[in-house]
Amino acid sequence: MIKTQNWPTGFLQKAATLVLLSGAALLAGCSQEPDTGGFAGLAQAVDSGQSDSFLQPGPGDRLRFPDDWGPHPQHRIEWWYLTANLQTADGEPVGVQWTQFRQAIESRTAATTPPAAEQWPLQAAWMAHAAVSLEGEHRFAEKFARGDIGQAGAVASPLDVWLDDWRLTQQPDGALRLQVNTPEWGYDLLLRIQGEPVAHGDQGFSAKSASGEGSMYFSLVDIAISGELTRKGETQTVTGRGWFDREWSSQFLKTGQQGWDWFALHLDSGDKVMAFQLRQQDGGFLSGTWIPQSGEPVALPPEALSLTPLGFSGATPNLWRLQIPQYQVDIKLTAPAGSYINNGLFPYWESPVSVSGSHGGEGYMELTGYRGSP
Amino acid sequence: MLLFPASQFSNLFSALFSHYRRHPLQLLALALMIMLATMLWTGVNHLTTQARASLGQSEQAVAARSQLERVDGQALTVADFVTLRRAGLCVMPWLEVESPGQGGRLVGVDPLAAGCFEQTGLDAVNESLEPSKKPEPAWTPMLNGEPFIDISEAAALAQNVASRNVSLSLLIVPPEPASALPADYRMTGFSLGPDTGELGDSFLLNLDALGFLVLLITALLLRSVYQLGMAQRRDSFALLQRFGVMPSAINRVLLVEILLLALLSVVPGVWLGRLLAGTVSGGFGQALDSLFDTPLYAGQSQSWLTPTATMMAIVLVVCLAQNVRALLLRTVAVWPLASLAKLLTGADAGTEFRQKPWPWLALLLAVAGLAMALLAQSLPLVFFAVALVFAATGIAAPFAIAALSATLARKTREPLARWRHTELGVMARRLALPLVALQFALAMVLAVQALVTVFEATFDEWLGQRLAADYFIEVPAGANADAAAQWLAAQPELAQSGDWHQVASGVAQLPATANDPTTANPKMDRKAQSVDLLAVGPVSPLLTMWSLQAANDQPWQGFAAGEGVMVNEQLARRYPLAVGDTLALTLANTRFELPVLAIYADYGRPAGEVLINLELLPDEFVPAFESFSISPGASDIALISDGLQRLWQVDSVRVRDNKRIRELADAVFDQTFLLTRAMTFVTLVLAAIALLIMGWVFFSIRAWYFRLLQVWGLTKRQVLAQLGQLALTLTLSITLLALPLGVWLTWVLVHRINPLAFGWSLPMAIYPGFWLQLGVVSVLIGLSITLLMRSQLGGSGPKPVSAASLRGDER
Repeated sequence: MIKTQNWPTGFLQKAATLVLLSGAALLAGCSQEPDTGGFAGLAQAVDSGQSDSFLQPGPGDRLRFPDDWGPHPQHRIEWWYLTANLQTADGEPVGVQWTQFRQAIESRTAATTPPAAEQWPLQAAWMAHAAVSLEGEHRFAEKFARGDIGQAGAVASPLDVWLDDWRLTQQPDGALRLQVNTPEWGYDLLLRIQGEPVAHGDQGFSAKSASGEGSMYFSLVDIAISGELTRKGETQTVTGRGWFDREWSSQFLKTGQQGWDWFALHLDSGDKVMAFQLRQQDGGFLSGTWIPQSGEPVALPPEALSLTPLGFSGATPNLWRLQIPQYQVDIKLTAPAGSYINNGLFPYWESPVSVSGSHGGEGYMELTGYRGSP
Repeated sequence: MLLFPASQFSNLFSALFSHYRRHPLQLLALALMIMLATMLWTGVNHLTTQARASLGQSEQAVAARSQLERVDGQALTVADFVTLRRAGLCVMPWLEVESPGQGGRLVGVDPLAAGCFEQTGLDAVNESLEPSKKPEPAWTPMLNGEPFIDISEAAALAQNVASRNVSLSLLIVPPEPASALPADYRMTGFSLGPDTGELGDSFLLNLDALGFLVLLITALLLRSVYQLGMAQRRDSFALLQRFGVMPSAINRVLLVEILLLALLSVVPGVWLGRLLAGTVSGGFGQALDSLFDTPLYAGQSQSWLTPTATMMAIVLVVCLAQNVRALLLRTVAVWPLASLAKLLTGADAGTEFRQKPWPWLALLLAVAGLAMALLAQSLPLVFFAVALVFAATGIAAPFAIAALSATLARKTREPLARWRHTELGVMARRLALPLVALQFALAMVLAVQALVTVFEATFDEWLGQRLAADYFIEVPAGANADAAAQWLAAQPELAQSGDWHQVASGVAQLPATANDPTTANPKMDRKAQSVDLLAVGPVSPLLTMWSLQAANDQPWQGFAAGEGVMVNEQLARRYPLAVGDTLALTLANTRFELPVLAIYADYGRPAGEVLINLELLPDEFVPAFESFSISPGASDIALISDGLQRLWQVDSVRVRDNKRIRELADAVFDQTFLLTRAMTFVTLVLAAIALLIMGWVFFSIRAWYFRLLQVWGLTKRQVLAQLGQLALTLTLSITLLALPLGVWLTWVLVHRINPLAFGWSLPMAIYPGFWLQLGVVSVLIGLSITLLMRSQLGGSGPKPVSAASLRGDER
């Protein structure tokens, strides 16, 4: 009889913890119980002081290019995130999302030599999400990989982010190419970046609570996109515009915070808005960035904006009101009909939105931490 | 539904139910029987489902999967894994580390990479499902075992182990199209052990047949108890009718009554059945030092609805059979069918039983059933034949006991013996249904025991034949197998104490068959031109231990000298071939005509196979697969694999440890068989309890009559002795009558159902030792009834009775 280590108490726990941490930390698990111990384990780890070896971003930290396009192994968590509002040649709207996450299990400095691939190390785990929404249908796929063996990773310059055969690569002409394939659908998009990266918050440090915890966060807000979408064995040409986020931290949500509502909007006036709130029992923490068509972006403090849910799909609010009085913005954000749950290990809502009211426009909405699915 | 006012219904209900107020024991017995029958069927059904799941999982655990190998024969590395994943292939690493000092074999896997194994083909389904309703990943059961650890831990352990004890495999979900595979890699089978194939399917079919029998037995038990109660309430019904209550109104009230009773008894019965199944399987699980720390049988959670609804339906149909029969008789006017309808719905034991046609009908059904079972060429017909024979036995058994007792009563002069024989006849008639149920249960237990033992032995022999050698070494692509054979032959230690042979497999062409159209399977016909070829040599004890079904005088000597071939059971059956026949076969354009030296048992493998001496293979024959089977004896397998590695100049040699596979297969199959035995055990115990309750109730009803024996001058002890003899004769007779039925059922399962379903047959065996055990069980039931009667006899004196009662007539 084979007698070995105990699978459930050994490996499975570790693997489960790993994935749970990464998923919950990133998405604050829609279907999970509301947080009691803070951000589904991650905050607990931080609270109990186990994160000493990880760096925590703070006010005064600055962005460094091109390094910040690459991974930050001393931080617990980070992601590369694209959302796009596209349309087919027939004018049919298409929503596209791609996100690649890195979740560190052990921290190490950038200078430290990574462990040998032959050891199948488990110092970091990677997760990639991809989704396509059109004609009322929402398709989602996810992938996982361990870091340091080459199956998944990121390089700052030229930019290359990959997990298996899904990858975002910088082309010789500076454009980015995003390729995603699943057995049922896929896309191959060319991203032409216009404008400089927009630093959110205090020159890149984006506070996530009144007590100062936060992340480093910048975006590319004006990306012209063209490419092909394959679905049901047919390939279609798509064009439109996108929004790209880079964000990293070691503690994203504070104990007691339940999830977030995030919006990235392209207004018809040519202005852009990023707005989010981190929900907790006693209200939440609001923040955002006003990016005028011309001129410098302006960080929006909590009191400068308000977000109100107006309608629900199940437990998830799919109709919102966003007000930024300073810029005469009073708009409704409406998700198209249907369910836009990314039904992965940690379900969350990810949908395109249309903008109406004081301004027209379009954009994307990500909602996490709601109990149950719509 | 109710065609009269509620108050009237309520009054009638109270009047009818007052019977049970006067006889609470009867109500308790009926409720208990429904509950026990439900418990029996739910328990058995639960165990069957779990045995099925268990076998399914064990098959999944040892079944073949696909893996990738490098075309250049080099060992796989993490770089290969990354290359393949980045090419979009679904590949999972499987790092095996053999570390004797640290607990044996460990398998390192990467759960993060396993996601695509579960996603394949499920994406569309998953899209539409709520997260909580998503199916469990198909891969999960494989990873629930103890030997699996994270691949990083396995890799760390591998650093302290010789490289020959570490092997990395890359499991793959075969890509669509196959051309998507990079040119540097090829796909081969990956297996933890042999595929049980049709042997497992056959076992499951038999489980289903036995599950059906259990349902039949529970129905009979219920019917018997209900009928007993109805017979006792006949006077009440007659009285109510005299007061002007329509029989249809009584029937409606009875329907409501049984519905309520069924509901109140079925639900706890289902609960008890599940509890019983859980206890039985849990107990076995603890006793079994399983390879997997997640019990195999724990994975199945069944709904409450199915067993509850099934048993409610059974209770209603069985208890209200009288009404069903009336309906059948109205619609079926033709006599034989009407008789069958009467038979199936249960005749009134008190009157119709004594009518002459019954023995003849039993005989007719038995002859028809036996003939049909022997000659039928389709499964439904064989199942129908089984039903006929069971029906015949069901009718004949109580009749036979009654007839025998009547004859004995006539012949004996001793008054007490005559009384006993007559009483036995009465009991056989009045307890006909529970007795038949016990007979069926005993027959089923007997058949299951024989079948499970036969299957177990066959699985064992089958594993033994395929895993005869301790180790199995694959010849890598491009390596010279003949050079390796020469090298092995030159190893003195191996030659002295070990055994080995070389195996090359491929395909041989046979001329068109002259099939027997009555037994031919069209699917096999098409394949008949091409059969599997297994070339082996030199002849080692690993081969000569094979079980031969037929052979000439010295088959292996002739085989070693290249004087002929051997064929497997299936090929011999299909072609047909006998020992001494000449077989013409073509191997790579070379035609051979060789005599058949022997036919070897192949334990359910459906493909035809020819075994030929390796030396006869023509040079141009290209084997599909080459390997060595090696039992190293005093030699060390590590030295042998090192030697072959050097000889073949490859990074690693794939060594399969057959002993470990055997342990794994044994463990999982043992568990399946234990569950099957648990199922039969539960059936027997509950059938025995049913008979005990029935016997007790029946003896209790006649207690006043037995007390007359004391009035006639017998002591209580003497009365008890008489009752003991009576009960023992009854239960032993039914056991004796169950034996032929059980043996016949085994024969049908093994020799008729199996060949018709799968085209091959298992050896049949009978186990008289087990018959003795069943005899002991029936004696215990008889003794228990006697003991229960002891308290009944101590009650009040005989009550006034009618003249008919004093004659011992049936009321």
